[in-house]
Amino acid sequence: MKAAPFRYHAPSTVAEAVDLLTEHGDEAKVLAGGQSLVPIMALRLGRYGHLVDLNRVDGLRGVEAANGHVRVGAMTTQSAVEHDPMIADRVPLVAAAAPHIGHFQIRNRGTVGGSIAHADPAAELPAVAMALDAVMEVGGPEGAREVRAADFFTSMWTTSLADNEILTAVRFPVRSELQGFAVSEVARRHGDFALVGTACAVSVDGGGVVTDAAIALFGVGPTPVRAASAEEALVGTGPDADLGEIGRLALSGVDPNDDVHASGDYRRRAGAAIVARALGTARDEARGGRS
Amino acid sequence: MTAGRYVGQSVARREHRPLVTGHGRYVDDVTVAGMAHAAFVRSDVARGTITAIDVEDAQAVPGVFAVYLAADLNTVCGPIHSTLMGPNAPMPPMRALAEGDVRFVGEPVAVVVAESRAVAEDAAEMVVVEVAALPAVVDPVAALTDTENLVHPEKGTNVAQAMPDTGGPDVDAAFAGAAQVVTGRFAQSRGTNVPMEPRGLVASWEPGTGEFTAHVSSQNPHEYHAHFARVLGIDHHRVRVLTDQVGGGFGQKVFVSRDETCVAVAAKLLGRPVKWIEDRRENLIAANQARNEIVDLEVAVDDDGAMVAMKARHVEDVGAYAINSHASASGSMSNFITGPYRIGHLGFSSTSAYTNTVGRAAYRGPWLMETTAREQMVDRVARAIGMDPLEFRRRNTVTAAEFPFSMPGGVPIDRVSLTEVLDQAAEMMDYDGFRVRQAAALSEGRHLGLGISAYIEPSGIAFGALATEQANIRIDAAGKVRIMMGSGDHGQNTATTMRQLVAEYLGCDIDDVTYSQHDTTATPHGSGTAGSRTAVIFGGAAIGASKRLREKVAEIAAHLLEASPDDIEIVGSEAFVAGTPSRSVGFAEIAAAAYLAPDRLPPGVEPGLEAVHRYRPPSLFTLSNSCHMCTVEVDAATGMVTFDRYVVSEDCGPMINPTVVEGQIVGGVVQGIGTALYENMAYDPDGNPLASTFLDYVLPGAAEMPEIEIGHIESPSASEGGFKGVGEGGTIGAIACVANAVNDAIAPLGAHIDRLPMGPSEVLAAIDSAGGA
Amino acid sequence: MNEIPVTMTVNGEDRAATIEPRLTLADYLRSECGLTGTHLACEHGACGACTVLVDGAAQRSCLVFAVQAQGAEITTVEGLAEAPGEPTAVQRAFEDCYGLQCGFCTPGFVVSVTAFLRDNPEPDDREIREALSGNLCRCTGYGGIYAAVRQAAAELAEAQGGAS
Repeated sequence: MKAAPFRYHAPSTVAEAVDLLTEHGDEAKVLAGGQSLVPIMALRLGRYGHLVDLNRVDGLRGVEAANGHVRVGAMTTQSAVEHDPMIADRVPLVAAAAPHIGHFQIRNRGTVGGSIAHADPAAELPAVAMALDAVMEVGGPEGAREVRAADFFTSMWTTSLADNEILTAVRFPVRSELQGFAVSEVARRHGDFALVGTACAVSVDGGGVVTDAAIALFGVGPTPVRAASAEEALVGTGPDADLGEIGRLALSGVDPNDDVHASGDYRRRAGAAIVARALGTARDEARGGRS
Repeated sequence: MTAGRYVGQSVARREHRPLVTGHGRYVDDVTVAGMAHAAFVRSDVARGTITAIDVEDAQAVPGVFAVYLAADLNTVCGPIHSTLMGPNAPMPPMRALAEGDVRFVGEPVAVVVAESRAVAEDAAEMVVVEVAALPAVVDPVAALTDTENLVHPEKGTNVAQAMPDTGGPDVDAAFAGAAQVVTGRFAQSRGTNVPMEPRGLVASWEPGTGEFTAHVSSQNPHEYHAHFARVLGIDHHRVRVLTDQVGGGFGQKVFVSRDETCVAVAAKLLGRPVKWIEDRRENLIAANQARNEIVDLEVAVDDDGAMVAMKARHVEDVGAYAINSHASASGSMSNFITGPYRIGHLGFSSTSAYTNTVGRAAYRGPWLMETTAREQMVDRVARAIGMDPLEFRRRNTVTAAEFPFSMPGGVPIDRVSLTEVLDQAAEMMDYDGFRVRQAAALSEGRHLGLGISAYIEPSGIAFGALATEQANIRIDAAGKVRIMMGSGDHGQNTATTMRQLVAEYLGCDIDDVTYSQHDTTATPHGSGTAGSRTAVIFGGAAIGASKRLREKVAEIAAHLLEASPDDIEIVGSEAFVAGTPSRSVGFAEIAAAAYLAPDRLPPGVEPGLEAVHRYRPPSLFTLSNSCHMCTVEVDAATGMVTFDRYVVSEDCGPMINPTVVEGQIVGGVVQGIGTALYENMAYDPDGNPLASTFLDYVLPGAAEMPEIEIGHIESPSASEGGFKGVGEGGTIGAIACVANAVNDAIAPLGAHIDRLPMGPSEVLAAIDSAGGA
Repeated sequence: MNEIPVTMTVNGEDRAATIEPRLTLADYLRSECGLTGTHLACEHGACGACTVLVDGAAQRSCLVFAVQAQGAEITTVEGLAEAPGEPTAVQRAFEDCYGLQCGFCTPGFVVSVTAFLRDNPEPDDREIREALSGNLCRCTGYGGIYAAVRQAAAELAEAQGGAS
């Protein structure tokens, strides 16, 4: 199981990387952490004439606070955000999602931007980006542009990035005080891709009534999705809300596939249960945040 | 038996030091000068006729030495068969490369040999194989009556083997007189052995000497030796097979595959060494598989809750080419399906089906479907008559007073501890306490379950080529000891256990003993490490040869010490006169006399210090037995199963090395958990394998496994040392145990599952169809 | 030829080679450096047998191309101990607790556990299980491996306590 041959490029700037992508067109592929790409190449499910490795590009790593956001460089490893105190403090949903990504050896090399740009529909970080309305910073031949998460994921393993654009950073909004978060998923084994999963954020008012809710689902279709009707149903509810019903509502709008691991029906049923549990956790945390 | 100086002790396993420090030598670590690398072109069609193969572009790839097709290789080696079955087995010919037809996805069609594996893969991708596809035969039950779509048209049927119903009027009468008859159908999904080291070999043909040498990853090196001689048309004594570390096998590396055969033939044709290391995708789609079986059971119960008779119909999938004849498990199935219970009458039938899938392997406990089905059935019967499953087993289990009890399959039950393991497991589990805890949890909406599984295992089956093993023991001229055996250890620590036996029975210090199995030209003929036969048969050989050599050591020592051989004691590589430890002579001096100073030997004693013993156990079956109990919790909202506890009470007789015994049990149990909960080598209706990576073929992982608690009962067998085999039992018992625990947990929901694996999707579907949580 | 020079430090030794970019770090270590302790059991990042330390971080060497390790410091299972063949506390714990049988997956476990205990010297049972989940073993059923991690953790803690 050996990858097909390719030419290797290790640019040191975003501009250089974009030039290489422009030059080689659809023959070229961006290499970030490689934790999804290299297996695809080893299995010869994908072959690329040119690999453009972003690991030596300056300025793509690191976490910084900026204007109510936390900006995570695309090449920041998943393990770095998992252990970053600023992430834990200001974007707890990212911190909650990180331990679910593969295994620690994968997270040591896998990157935040790589996971989001790879856009695996069963991956955690794209769903987190959706839940938090993250903003993608994109570098391309015309310079930088920004894309909202809702406009970023277009299909399975496909984003609105052009062939010669790269994701350079992701901006996540800083949590507010009366907000709680949870990531919940069902996987065959610890670290496996989720059969179905959810990333939730819930805001409450001083009386514990939900004022805002975000429910992102993954593993249920070609892209991560927001369960808008369930979010609406949750807003305005108090502690007696029927979360089971909201969970079922959340999954009622999706049509997940059958595969060797689980039926689509299973994903809907189990998904409803874990959304209910995640909302309960997030709401409790949001209420706890009052003190 | 009381523990000896070495036997019964958890002696440290010296062979592990190189493995933990990265200094092991597995087959892929072997490099031979001038070595080329092979990659296979495999069929991506399950059934069809090859209409054209174009190798032109592949041959033109720089670095490619050869692209071989059936016409090149099959003409050299002819159809392949194992030594055990011989050339006249009633099976369709299995050829090295596909010829004419392809019969499963993954079947080797061409082999490319190149300067590197990467280049060989580049070229393999350029070989164009055109196949006129036909509908695939995938479902073994449908295959049996399908007369239109035949896996092997020349057979005229997809029935590979049929064992007619063994039942008779006694069975019918028992059923007619029964208070109640309970029926069930149990299915086990296709799984595969998955050694962490895939198959592989480095094959070298030396044109000058006419000798063939292969470094292999094998659990049966002498079979590889015989096979290579056969397929290459080389005299047996001009073949040499070498094994160093072997990274697992579990039955997959007992017989030589087509792929390995192709590499050997290619090396001979090319006249240069060829290495092939199977990659994981190949291992998952093209190495032999197992377990796809269905059993229909009927059990007749009398008014007292006694099982009096059983009817069993067994269907098994043997794939397109079972590695060893039909690889049918029906013989052992029929012998052992009534298990430890007092069931007097049995009607058993079995049918094997050819399908367009990978052929069947012997996988750890190849016949274990008898336990998987029976133990689930026992729970079902107990539930049907409203009796606790432990109490029901206690009532039906054969007691020692009844030994030897003849099972309806004909095997006498004796020298086992059937009631004792039930009691020990129940005590370890705190069975009654768990039932209280379970009821309390249920009242809070939590679903706990307990599973039980008991079985009798025929270890070390002493039949035909498997009946005997040999130990050659040599004390060398410096007084150090070497054991040579034709085993195929692939993680069983045979080196340690055999060193323990020799040190114990010869009387030497264990650090003075080394163990060797790695070269078939130096070791006696053997039938490999499989079938839970090591402790019983290799162990008997080691003891026999040790005793024989000890006699000679004692005789020489007596002469040197001017004492009677009867008064000589030997401990720690030192012989001394009983009661007078100061009058002693060490192995070094005894060996010096034996090899270097023959005049110091007693008159008539042949110089040298070697002994050979070939051992055959006294019984055809050496029976081990065990009872497993586990407790689980099922999340009724997600179908996820989590383990609470897992307890095994086992009887493998006296243990040579308790740590090794327990390691075999734990490892075996977790493979059984894999079959019960995770592993599913599924095919789609077109015969495409759906689990060709480790993402889709789900092995048990470290985060979820229980820590297994083990209790031991020791009833000695009739074999030398009283040992019984323990390699397969963990797996045999585990599958039904886990299935029963899950079913016990979801029973209050009215749900039941009788098809494996019980993944979360299947569990939730069962709960849903029963009306929901 | 499409080959690129690469230099890195492997187990403290400087290494230089000119290689095809498609050569993985695992294959480079095995074929170019002769360090065959790093094993390949899946080559698609799922089993962990090939785990090595890249600048101290445990990573799957089948998912890194060797050219990407330019300038990096690599430690393999052979390089964990002070002297060749001498076991570390982790390696000795695997021996003591029967944390291996066939041994093929063992180097990946040993390297992973070494890094894990360095970063988390007092793990609880859940953390141990999660840390081990990235490595597959088919022989042991993991029981001996859980025990080995606990023993190594205790031993390392004691050594640290004794040193302070």
